[in-house]
Amino acid sequence: MLEPTAPPRKAPLDTRHQVETPEGIDLPLRPAGLMVRALAFTIDLGLRGLILGVLFIALALLGKLGMGLGSLLIFAVSWWYMVLFEVLRQGRSPGKQWMGLRVVHDDGTPVGWSASLLRNLLRFVDLMPFGYFLGAISCLQHPTFKRLGDIAAGTLVVYGERPLSRPSLPEAEPRRAPIPLTLSEQRALLGFAERQGDLSPARVSELAALLAQPLRISAPNTVAELNGIARGLLGPT
Amino acid sequence: MRLSDATVVIRPRTTWEAMDLGVLMSQQHRRLLMTSWAIVTLPLFAALSVLLWDSPSLAMFIFWWLKPAYERLPLFILSKALFGETPTLKQALREWPRLLKPQLLASLTWRRFSLSRSFLLPVVQLEGLAGDARQQRLQVLLQRNAGAAQWLTVIGVHLESALWIGMMVLFYMLLPQQIETDWDWQSLVLAADHDWLWLEHLTNAFYALILVGWEPVYVACGFSLYLNRRTVLEAWDIELVFRRLRQRLNSNALGLLLVVCLLMPGMPSAWADTPATAPDAPRLLNQPLSSQASHDSIKAVLEQPPFKNRETVTRYRFGEDPANPARARKDGEAPQWLRALLGWLDGHRLDGLANVIEVLLWGAVIALTGWLVWRYRDFVQAFVNRRPRLPEPIKRPLLQQAFGLDLHRESLPNDIAGHAEQLWQTEPRAALGLLYRALLSRLLHEFDLTLGPADTENQVLARIEQLQRPELLAYSRNLTVHWQNIAYGHRVPAAHLQQELCDGWRALFSQGAAR
Repeated sequence: MLEPTAPPRKAPLDTRHQVETPEGIDLPLRPAGLMVRALAFTIDLGLRGLILGVLFIALALLGKLGMGLGSLLIFAVSWWYMVLFEVLRQGRSPGKQWMGLRVVHDDGTPVGWSASLLRNLLRFVDLMPFGYFLGAISCLQHPTFKRLGDIAAGTLVVYGERPLSRPSLPEAEPRRAPIPLTLSEQRALLGFAERQGDLSPARVSELAALLAQPLRISAPNTVAELNGIARGLLGPT
Repeated sequence: MRLSDATVVIRPRTTWEAMDLGVLMSQQHRRLLMTSWAIVTLPLFAALSVLLWDSPSLAMFIFWWLKPAYERLPLFILSKALFGETPTLKQALREWPRLLKPQLLASLTWRRFSLSRSFLLPVVQLEGLAGDARQQRLQVLLQRNAGAAQWLTVIGVHLESALWIGMMVLFYMLLPQQIETDWDWQSLVLAADHDWLWLEHLTNAFYALILVGWEPVYVACGFSLYLNRRTVLEAWDIELVFRRLRQRLNSNALGLLLVVCLLMPGMPSAWADTPATAPDAPRLLNQPLSSQASHDSIKAVLEQPPFKNRETVTRYRFGEDPANPARARKDGEAPQWLRALLGWLDGHRLDGLANVIEVLLWGAVIALTGWLVWRYRDFVQAFVNRRPRLPEPIKRPLLQQAFGLDLHRESLPNDIAGHAEQLWQTEPRAALGLLYRALLSRLLHEFDLTLGPADTENQVLARIEQLQRPELLAYSRNLTVHWQNIAYGHRVPAAHLQQELCDGWRALFSQGAAR
């Protein structure tokens, strides 16, 4: 038998990758997988094609000189496009920016020249023997979705933080929680209040009913009470 | 289904992150997923290939068309594994025929080309919905994540083809050179189909192999998208925390109640007793977390990795166990004769012989080294000698004669100019001949000019030019012209020229001799 049933409980699977700083702070990074990276790469590829196409049309007017300049241009664009964008724009090439990705070192610091050069030079290995064959396999097998170039350069492609919009809570009278709550419980209560708009009313009351009895709230206005606690947790706004 | 048993962290994610979770899930159960997929699909593929040997494309097409049927197996495994009940390979395979029943026809015909196939499969297979109920569910599910699910399939199509072509290229690159020469591409296209059927079946087999690796990932990604959508829709993460909170509060209340009940009757005595035992008795006995429990848990935490990194190192060692030397000695008792022999050898009886052998061995080493150096001396020279030995200049015998003239230094008189002046009156030809002969001799012996036996006078002049002595060159030219005139044209130079040539000689060579 390949897998025994019910293995001893391991840490649950998560897409977060914790990096611990020397100060003992855990930085959660969210490595990006093959699918989104493939899309980002396709966008970059298209952009490069566009740039080259436009410049070639311009250079075609120059005859032989244009051909020579064109060859230089192919070299520059194919080898330096990614490196320059990554180093000078906080690890974001246009495709990555579009998909909300960025390249960082393994420890979460911004990517530097050597790492970026290495990971982009090794694209050549990743795309052996055809169309990123090795890169795709490595990306699917690696726990933090690294292709070979990333493994060699010690870099990581992560989701960047998107700016958050201020969530709106339903109107309720702020009140104190009857019992002390842990951080995750406070968060869950806030989430309950924030996400009420996306949930069906039946589901909302079902969730609220879970806490009705232990918090000793009468059944009909549990939702309002919980919203009140969430308001209270939020503090004066 | 109990959310608290989930083996993944449940929280709302972005769609791409949800897919990444699917990749992680497929990684975790990679062996089971891939083996079960291979066991199901590869025999089917083989059977199709054999049955439809003459039309490989059709076999391939049917195999490809049936993909939704195989996809139910990985989904079953993943859905079980999500809640920690990973099935064994045998269980999973036994389950497969049952999984095929619901709505197989639909998923193989009009739903075959749905781009969100893997995202919607759980609705049929895990929720068991059909008809209108299913439609409603799909409507709700597809409100948000439809785009991502379709992208997943589109990316999957491209990835499959890239990996497939990659496999073919890899196969082609691994062919030995001798075979490759026959494989012209035109011959592949134009040749009779029958010759290359096996090749087409081989490429089809590559596709089947690619699917073994990719398809479980595809199903897992669709499943994790589905999970994520339901997490968002039904706030699973909030439910999870609420349930834990409820459990905590209930057990607290229960514990408190118990404590109160137990202590109630004996309350006064307990109050009376407490001060007496206080210093030694463990404190905080009535809390949910007693001091002993907290002490234990702190100890347990301190034993764990960030504080203590235990490491077990296993190495091979010779079997003498210091722990029980008695047994070791008992083992060593047997070869008594060996110890006796060793003891005898240990004495200094054979020292002389040992010395001789040592000398012989060292001698052999030195001889061997010497022989090696001698044997490979060219090699050593090539690498050790920094300055390559120049090829020795070929020694050419000095020229003895030119134009039939004797160039030996001894054959010439000492005072050439004087001798020539004397000769001039009677034999001008001999006088000029003497001068020219002497010039050549001087060039040869004093200026180290290499003269070829077949050089003409003009070639000699050209060589003199290379010496970069203008006065010598001018004199030589002058002399050569007159010598040629008299030698070949029988024209005697004018009288004043005779004197000029002799003076020129004196000016040139008496000075040169002085130098």
